[in-house]
Amino acid sequence: MVLSRFWYLVLALALGASAYLLFVATAVHNREALRAAREGLQPDVQVVASYLRDDARRRSSLLIAPSLDEEIRSQVAKSSAAADKVPAEARDKARSALRKQGEAMPADGRFDALFAVDAAGRVVAQTGFDQAAGLEGFELGGYPLVADALHGWVRDDAWVLGGRIYRVVARPIELEAGALPAGAIVGARIVDDTFARELSRRTSAAVGFYAAGKRVASGAPESFDTGQLDFITNDLAAVERDPAYKDKGLTDVRVLHGDLAVIYARLPGEAWDLGAGFAVARLAHLSASPLEFESQKTEADKAAVPMGPLGAVAAALALIGLLFSVLEHTRPLHAFRSEVLRLAKGEIEQLTASRFRGVYRKIASDLNDGIEKVAAKGGGARRADLEQVLGPIPTQPAMSAFAFPGAADASSDVAATSATTPSAPRPLPVAPPPPPMRALEPTPIASSISSSAPPPPRPVPPRPPGRAEEADVEPSTQPLPEEMAEWLGVFDEFVRVKQQCSEPTEGLTFEKFQVTLRKNRDALVQKHACRRVKFTVYVKEGRAALKASPVRE
Amino acid sequence: MRLARRLPRRLLALPLLACALVPGLALAAQVKGRVVGVEKLLNPVWNEAKELSAHRFTFREPSPTVRSDLRNLTAYAPKEVCIAAIAEGAQPPPTLPLLVTVGGGRTTPVTLVVAAGTRVHFENRDPFPHRLYGVGQASFSPGDTASLASRDWTPPGPGRYEVRDELAPSLRAWIVVEPLVAAVAYPARDGSFTFANLAAGKYTLRGYFAGNPVGAPRAVEVGAGNLEVKDALALTEAAPAPPDKAAPGKAGKKHEGGN
Repeated sequence: MVLSRFWYLVLALALGASAYLLFVATAVHNREALRAAREGLQPDVQVVASYLRDDARRRSSLLIAPSLDEEIRSQVAKSSAAADKVPAEARDKARSALRKQGEAMPADGRFDALFAVDAAGRVVAQTGFDQAAGLEGFELGGYPLVADALHGWVRDDAWVLGGRIYRVVARPIELEAGALPAGAIVGARIVDDTFARELSRRTSAAVGFYAAGKRVASGAPESFDTGQLDFITNDLAAVERDPAYKDKGLTDVRVLHGDLAVIYARLPGEAWDLGAGFAVARLAHLSASPLEFESQKTEADKAAVPMGPLGAVAAALALIGLLFSVLEHTRPLHAFRSEVLRLAKGEIEQLTASRFRGVYRKIASDLNDGIEKVAAKGGGARRADLEQVLGPIPTQPAMSAFAFPGAADASSDVAATSATTPSAPRPLPVAPPPPPMRALEPTPIASSISSSAPPPPRPVPPRPPGRAEEADVEPSTQPLPEEMAEWLGVFDEFVRVKQQCSEPTEGLTFEKFQVTLRKNRDALVQKHACRRVKFTVYVKEGRAALKASPVRE
Repeated sequence: MRLARRLPRRLLALPLLACALVPGLALAAQVKGRVVGVEKLLNPVWNEAKELSAHRFTFREPSPTVRSDLRNLTAYAPKEVCIAAIAEGAQPPPTLPLLVTVGGGRTTPVTLVVAAGTRVHFENRDPFPHRLYGVGQASFSPGDTASLASRDWTPPGPGRYEVRDELAPSLRAWIVVEPLVAAVAYPARDGSFTFANLAAGKYTLRGYFAGNPVGAPRAVEVGAGNLEVKDALALTEAAPAPPDKAAPGKAGKKHEGGN
């Protein structure tokens, strides 16, 4: 299950990486959305400022007509000549003429208030700005805008009067060329929502005007929620502390509530010193989580997804997972189940652990051990292993690669048996009965058949000289060809299992191997009068082991 | 204290009432004179506002039909130039407050020379509030004055005081407390001025503009009869504001400002 587990790990990592990438992508998207909003704001500010400037110029041009109106000029001149107060007649006539001029202006250029001012700065006549209509001695002469006009300049200004912003333009009223103007004509436009909406319509910018710490007007495209512009009010105190705003009258992009990018700009004019200005805003469409993309997607977005490659990758991942599952779960389980079925049917006496891998091999081995123990408790032996059948198998010096642990002390006896030496008779048919448990426990032959690290030999009892040599040289029945082929298979299996168990196989040759098998086969055949002996490779306590089973068929 | 005739009627009424209470009025005389050089006095507020660095406009351009030398932002003498008659001895303050109106982006008068202890009465003539304060004066801190409302302030002692408005940057007024001042007059647009009732005695006539004395003082002696100062008072010696950059030679220069 190593591959499957590794695959689960890979999938988990891939899933985690995908989630990570999604969140990173969301953050990148939000950052880019904010950056786009930021970058879009700079042109917006320029556009709004240009609009205000152009609007002021256009409106100053609209004042040319009233400044040249004969009635207005003459009445203003009369008022300028009067030292004490504005003559009533001049006031009435100038007001009438001024009203006509105001009504004659195009609808989109009309002023909210028009003033005719004499050389002393006194208001001779006015339309609009009704709150000043009844004030005696109302004048405008102290404002730099009016003073400029009275000295021959045309310019604009922005006033903040009573908490409202007024965009104001003025131009001189001249009686004769080259002379000081007789007065000035002043036009004022209130910056209200109508003005802001018109500005927004022409510039496509969301703009809000503020004065005295409050928003006084706002306008925005339909796609922009003008309620967002209310947030600028809460930010004005911080804006006033902004060094860039103080020095240049323009802030850097400020982000409110995470997604509202705003630039504040002071309004040129007296409003500049009164903290009045305008804010241009853009709303960055941010996503709180990757899931929000689902609700924001369009058909074009979906079409941009490479479904083919994604599907192929998903299918490949699934197939790899299935393959690993089949290889490591289904097939071993199937093989194990088949083997168990064979065991259940009695076709085999034990599971062939070497046919399994991983945990199945361990289960098979344990199952075999259990079967052996159960059989031993029942008083019978289902099969004989070499040691059970032959007793302690001798260590074979000539075949050092084949050492049987725990059998060294009895090797001489076995050897003698094999050699059938009369001087050392050993009842071959009946092996010395080993302890019941020991007899039935599988003999870890594999652990003893080692080429390089044989287990420490048991004390060898003294035996007559030359006896071992006799045993070694005792001829054995040569294996049949089909038996030789089977032993070759057993040898290969034995070597493979040893390697899987990380046991050394150097020096282990088939010649040595078959000598041992042959001797054991002969001993078993002689003991059980069987026709042949079947050798099986299995794992015993982590080491390759070999068992011999007499076959009587 | 007696004020000149050029001041608004209300402004004039208060000092006239005070003069009526002063003993020896029968010995008072009318003193007439004239100032020259007003065209050299440049209004500091207006001239600051025309600078690009002031951010007061998005465009400012001259009218081509107005002579360039006339486009200098000179002072409006009837409100901004004050001629003070300074006596040889300390003068008592008037019993009634001195009226200063606030409206149209300025005060009237803009420069005021008063005796020590004079109470100044600021009256808002605009249809919206003002928030006057004395620069650096704890006794005249910013306070709202609603339309047609007023507030009084007595300058603490001799010196020059500047009054500003937090709601109107162009509004700047100067009050000069001169213990010896006996009367003030404001010239007409042609430069003429009149002290209606100046008690007999020796005086020094001196012009004030934007809170500062301008021109050379002129000593006069008022007797029993009216007096006309023959030589005009030149007000050109001290000009507080720099010359207009659009003066002759630079006519037609356009200013562009804004963001």
